[in-house]
Amino acid sequence: MEIFLSAIFSGTSRGAIYALAALGLVLVWRGAGVVNFAQMGQAMFTTYIASTLIGHHYSYWLAFIVALISGGILGAFVDLTVMRPLSRKRSSNFLDSPAMHSTIPVIASLGILGILQSGAGIFWAAEERGFPTPVNSLGLVIGGKTMPFTAFDLFVIGTVFITLVITTYFFKGTGMGLAMRASALNSEVARLSGIKIGSMRTLSWTISGVASSLAGLLVTPSANLSPSTLDLILIIGFTAAVVGGLDSLLGSVIGGFALGLLISFVNVYDTPEDIFLAILVVLLAVLLIRPQGLLGSKEVRRV
Amino acid sequence: MSRTRSYGRKNLIISILFAVLIFILSIKLDPYNLGQVAVALMLFIGVLSIVLLTGASGQISLGQGALMAVGGFAAALAILNLGLSMWVAIILAVIAALLAGLLLGITAARLSGPYLAGTTLVIALAIPSLATRFESVFGGDVGLNINFGNPPAWLSSLMGSVGYEQWQLLATLPFAVLALFFTSNILSSRTGRSWRALRDNEIASSLNGINISQTKIFVFVISSGFAGLAGVLYGLRGIVGPSVYPISLSLMLLTGAVLGGIRSILGALIGSILVVFLPDVIDSIMKHFSPSEQVANYLPAMISSLLLILTVVLNPGGIAHGLHRTRRHL
Amino acid sequence: MLEIKDLVTEYGSVKALNGVSLVAHVGKITTVIGANGAGKSTLLRTISALEQPRSGNISWNGKSIVGLSPEKIVRLGIAHVPEGHAVISQLSVEENISMGALFRMRSNKVDVKNAQQEMYQLFPRLEERKNQLAGSLSGGERQMLAISRALVSRPSLLLLDEPSLGLAPLIVEQIIQTINDLCRNTGLTVLLVEQNANTALSVADHGILLSLGSVVADLPAAQMKADVSLRAAYLGY
Repeated sequence: MEIFLSAIFSGTSRGAIYALAALGLVLVWRGAGVVNFAQMGQAMFTTYIASTLIGHHYSYWLAFIVALISGGILGAFVDLTVMRPLSRKRSSNFLDSPAMHSTIPVIASLGILGILQSGAGIFWAAEERGFPTPVNSLGLVIGGKTMPFTAFDLFVIGTVFITLVITTYFFKGTGMGLAMRASALNSEVARLSGIKIGSMRTLSWTISGVASSLAGLLVTPSANLSPSTLDLILIIGFTAAVVGGLDSLLGSVIGGFALGLLISFVNVYDTPEDIFLAILVVLLAVLLIRPQGLLGSKEVRRV
Repeated sequence: MSRTRSYGRKNLIISILFAVLIFILSIKLDPYNLGQVAVALMLFIGVLSIVLLTGASGQISLGQGALMAVGGFAAALAILNLGLSMWVAIILAVIAALLAGLLLGITAARLSGPYLAGTTLVIALAIPSLATRFESVFGGDVGLNINFGNPPAWLSSLMGSVGYEQWQLLATLPFAVLALFFTSNILSSRTGRSWRALRDNEIASSLNGINISQTKIFVFVISSGFAGLAGVLYGLRGIVGPSVYPISLSLMLLTGAVLGGIRSILGALIGSILVVFLPDVIDSIMKHFSPSEQVANYLPAMISSLLLILTVVLNPGGIAHGLHRTRRHL
Repeated sequence: MLEIKDLVTEYGSVKALNGVSLVAHVGKITTVIGANGAGKSTLLRTISALEQPRSGNISWNGKSIVGLSPEKIVRLGIAHVPEGHAVISQLSVEENISMGALFRMRSNKVDVKNAQQEMYQLFPRLEERKNQLAGSLSGGERQMLAISRALVSRPSLLLLDEPSLGLAPLIVEQIIQTINDLCRNTGLTVLLVEQNANTALSVADHGILLSLGSVVADLPAAQMKADVSLRAAYLGY
């Protein structure tokens, strides 16, 4: 029972982070039609920035904020320097054919991932380093009993919850959010309504960059920081997004929590070595049985 | 019909010229570069698998490295457990990869674009992790040891003493030539045309009587066979294990294919030479600037990633297409 | 005044517009009629910059608008209701309407609210359904929503593409009448593209007949309506 509960709690806390990663992926897919495989590379890079600040004795919170801001800037930078020029010359693109249409940005994003990883290697050496937590990461003690979750777990779940509330409010309650949804759903009608769809795309990349950066800050304490540590989170985030439906923000969050629990149970009851296999099985099962995911809409699926 | 036959003759001549060229190189080069050329030939076969899959039929795979691993492990098991010869093991490896490709293709035929990219990426990570999971069979993180063995006596008596690197290259050469000949023939055949039709307009090609999912699966199978062949040769250099077929290997093949020109066989050759020798060239330039160890380790990867992005944005046809264009302008 | 001179627009090598010239006067309804494939939609899409012209000029109130982006053109007071009840079906009715005024939100919030209310007065059925998804509306309601989406930006020129397409005659009548009232009461300039020539010419001031990308007749609406031979030659009835 104790083990089961601790699996549930650590699964929820992991799941919250995966939900963020999936959210970041879905934001850019919906907003710009690109599955960004460089996403967790961007997160790794900004986590290194935070780690460097902390190494120079700045406070965790300053480093935290700086990392989020640089995540946003990095996202916008990727869009403006690579993705926008790419989408502009799509029609005359030699590589382009209907079958390749959404594959070309994927290849470009792999290039960006490569640059970020090798860049991190050059700037911050290749050796792994740890990354601190803002609060205690030992089992929380309440009334003399050690609980199956840590203060850091609560911090993670709380932070992700606040992020989701803000994101939901932004998309449902503000004009900018409406403009972003409109340009993602129907760019022609959006343009005729005076919405600058190019700016909306860049904004998607920016918000996704912040969300991914946050995921990186929250997940790194449980792993070590190295240029390629977050590759696994990318795979998990992608699978979570597909499970939930690649075009559904809510679905991606649900998918993230589902994957968190799954991986936690595989860890506890089976062996960590099976994680990749479990992810692959889930991914293939969803793609073959319900390819639009839990909440994705069938007609929008751009498979 | 006669057109196809004349294509066939042209392809044969090019393949023979290619073989002769590499053979001459194999006599001239020092051992280090012999080894590098051998690796380039192995990767050439791997990049051809992407030219067939992505260039011709428009499907993407980030998991060619995993299929290479399938080939490598199949051969290693055949050699170590069944005591089969290297040549038989290579054939078995290709068959194993063809079967893996069939499984993958059946799944992939239903996917496209980023879904296919993501799924194959997960496969690229999951397959090598199986080696760690079933350590007793696949040798865990260390892997299994196999190699090209000693050059046969007749070769040594024919060419004088044949070094190990030279033997690596000479043993790889016939497979590379075969792959080249096969690819050029299939691309100029009816089959190749139906693949391109699929890539350019799926609906129209289905109206023309092309069975879409069958064709997609078929391309995956053929492409996987190539990857498996590349994988076993790559493993025969010494070790078959997860560290030999990392995710970066899959990305390296894709980079080579895109840099060289994803729709061109010449491009595949240029691309594989590039990814193998670019780090050497960068190293030899950097020596003059005595860089730190980090820079020396990561700069080649950074430059090839940068080239990848620049190619996709500015010259998506790759070097081969660029050459073609320049020639037309002259 | 909207003035179009020698406009040429191509799709690949096909000339959809082959040197079109016309004028739409302020406060009047100008209708462009013609058979399928005459280039009517392309004309509107070129004005609102969804397509770029090969050559020729479009000027609005004396200034050329060729080369501007669609977003800019909306800001100049030109609103386009494209063909096929163009609304975003995954958004609610209210969101579809506010979408049309987002770009004015910062400069004049109060007026945007008023404009939204006016749309509900214009089409009361939309107010009843304001929280429903646009995808759940009937064809007629969707067309009303598409028009509201355009009008809420308070345009001075409305480009209306086949509002009657696929709708029952009674609803067409109602929509066309609303546009007519709006034009007469507020001085809105309307460029109305229609295949349904009778309905269009009965409210319009001026008629332009387009065939295979060229203007073949440019007459006062009443005169065009009366010209039986013209209709027989180009519209088939």
